[in-house]
Amino acid sequence: MRRVSKAPRRLTRTEARSARAASGFLLPFLALFLLCFIAPIGYALYESLLKVERTGPLGLGGETKQVWAGLSNYAHALEDDRFTAGFGRVLLFGAVQIPLMIAFATALALLLDAASARWVGFFRTAFFLPYGVPGVIASILWGFLYVPGISPLVEMADSMGWDVDFLGRGAVLWSIANIVTWQFTGYNMLVLIAQLKAVPGELYEAARIDGANAWQVARHIKLPLIRPALVLTTVFSLIGTLQLFAEPKVLKPLSNSIDSGYTPNLAAYNEAFTSNNQHIAAAEAVLLALVACVLSFGFLRLVGQRGKDGDNG
Amino acid sequence: MTGTPRRAVLGGAAAAAAGFALAGCGSDDDGGGEPKGRKKGEKITLTFWSWVPGIDKPVALWNSKNPEVRVKVEKVSAVDGAQYAKMHAAIKAGNPPDLGQIEYPVVPSFLVDNGLLDLTKYGVAEHKDMFIGWQWQQSVFGKAVYAVPQASGPMGLFIRQDLFDKWGIEPPTTWDEYEAAATAIRKKGAWIETFSATNGNRFAGLAWQAGASWFGTEGDTWTVSIDDEPTRKVADYWYDLARRKLIKTIPDRQNAWYKDVQTGSIASWLGASWGDALLVGNAPKTAGKWRVVPMPQWKKGDASYANWGGSTTAVFAKTKYPKDALAFAIWLNTDPESIKLLIENGYGTPGAKQGYTTSQLDVHKDFFGGQAYSKVFDEASKGVDTSWKWGPATDTLYQRLGDAFTAAIGDGSDFRSVLKKVQGETIADLKEKGLKVKAG
Repeated sequence: MRRVSKAPRRLTRTEARSARAASGFLLPFLALFLLCFIAPIGYALYESLLKVERTGPLGLGGETKQVWAGLSNYAHALEDDRFTAGFGRVLLFGAVQIPLMIAFATALALLLDAASARWVGFFRTAFFLPYGVPGVIASILWGFLYVPGISPLVEMADSMGWDVDFLGRGAVLWSIANIVTWQFTGYNMLVLIAQLKAVPGELYEAARIDGANAWQVARHIKLPLIRPALVLTTVFSLIGTLQLFAEPKVLKPLSNSIDSGYTPNLAAYNEAFTSNNQHIAAAEAVLLALVACVLSFGFLRLVGQRGKDGDNG
Repeated sequence: MTGTPRRAVLGGAAAAAAGFALAGCGSDDDGGGEPKGRKKGEKITLTFWSWVPGIDKPVALWNSKNPEVRVKVEKVSAVDGAQYAKMHAAIKAGNPPDLGQIEYPVVPSFLVDNGLLDLTKYGVAEHKDMFIGWQWQQSVFGKAVYAVPQASGPMGLFIRQDLFDKWGIEPPTTWDEYEAAATAIRKKGAWIETFSATNGNRFAGLAWQAGASWFGTEGDTWTVSIDDEPTRKVADYWYDLARRKLIKTIPDRQNAWYKDVQTGSIASWLGASWGDALLVGNAPKTAGKWRVVPMPQWKKGDASYANWGGSTTAVFAKTKYPKDALAFAIWLNTDPESIKLLIENGYGTPGAKQGYTTSQLDVHKDFFGGQAYSKVFDEASKGVDTSWKWGPATDTLYQRLGDAFTAAIGDGSDFRSVLKKVQGETIADLKEKGLKVKAG
């Protein structure tokens, strides 16, 4: 590598102009980034450190003050077993649903990428279509298929002597997993296909000349080459899992098995909008963001490490 | 009025013997001062957030009569308390509407937010006699009046008379008979009812009937007594029915429940007066087969009833035109033509004394086989314990009850444990809101 001289060098006039131009282009981004990203986070952090104090008889009609709360909102959130149970639940959900969905998406991507596949365009669109259905609508749709008395699925199982309860305590989490998988497998598949398309054809040609069959090509060439896309989709899914909200929110009225803290996001929502307690909600949101950060970066580090080992080996 | 003098607090506390303690204050103190109101001849538009079906009809009537003070209805969703979330958020953001539809149980939670206007300054008191006493009292705190009563929901038992007849079962008049009926109906392969874990509203009604009193005040401290003897009795009763599988435990007023009601798989519903429209709308094919009987009693011959729901028209503290907003709220809920339009859309039992007769409430008479069913609700309304008061976090309370009942039904633990849990949580919730609170 060429050594960079350490002495600071004055910019030439053209360089200075292009630097100015660059910052001109960057400024709108930075402004938006500050406004839409940093400011809300800062505000949530600030709110999470306050609490309300009311005066006046019965706390009505008097003054309502916001006072410093220290970390008491965080303590409250962490002591709330509903909130912590929600974390356990989404982690279990992620541990099962993410690998399943990614495996499914990868299989579909590989199948559709196989040169001999027919109707590729049609199937690609068909698999992707559920992603176009908003999460709330998807949950309502699936809700109809889960509710006993209405669902043809339950009726069919019933007539065969199976007693299924999609919305029961043990099953409802996996009923939600089914909705999420239905919605996002196609989306992840598209990301994977996009990367597959970027693999130069000569590699396949070389493999075929070496006598590799389709399975071997997929296993030893395609899969390692779409690794970045696999990592990306997994991280997205990880974050998406922690953000689970629409599905349990929509299914809640239909089921006796979803409480108001079923997922951390639902807990924060209810704290803010049902209990009208935005300070605790802010603390819960910050905790959720922290866990999402730790998990995503932890995962990236993990696969980064493994990647390096793989390179060395 | 900021910084209530101590004497006023004590005065209010003295008044608490009759109702709730609150010294006559309640103006918001964020420096705006008195709103100037409308100049003569000035044309204004008031916004009104409501979810009541058909509310736009009386409003259109008002608009045709009052060209200067137009009211614009903005429909809000009543699913899961979404309307209140929206109102609280709007208060916080400083842009609430002028008027809002607020149910009796949640009025106090808006007072904690300083969200509602004390209407006594604008002469609401002169209209007091037009309304049914206990409904008026639901929005009175101390000397302040925060909302105009619209309607209530006295409870009764909707039954499928044809099925009861077919099975040879008498409609129950006591809770013991109810249990016997539940057993008999179960033997016929159907269910008498569902106990919906998430329906805190109705459970509150059941406790209310049994003589519970969940909230109260002592001086400037709130008292919470959800885990009291009457409520325990109610909890034990329903736990026993659920444990013996004599009732369903699915959520009510959801698709599966509607299906059960349509097919006769569920043969009765402990509902409120506004429930007539709900049944008519959702089980039209069962027309003519329904009747309404009084809610079962704990002791034979008693006449104690309860209320489920009911709401007010409240004026938000930030409105620029309090006088006009109040005038509209009074008109909406007392004008005979307006009430007629509201009744037709099934809004409940009117809060106004005049302007209607019970027979006018029987708009769905055919559905109930010609029965003058509103008489049952009218009687129930007279037997409602009027000392019942709501606390400042009712939505949270319902959620707590829903969560705890959900868990109890799931793992089979008894419903008494639910009360104990929710009692503790509610006290903590009120503390979290910066209020003084203790167990009652």
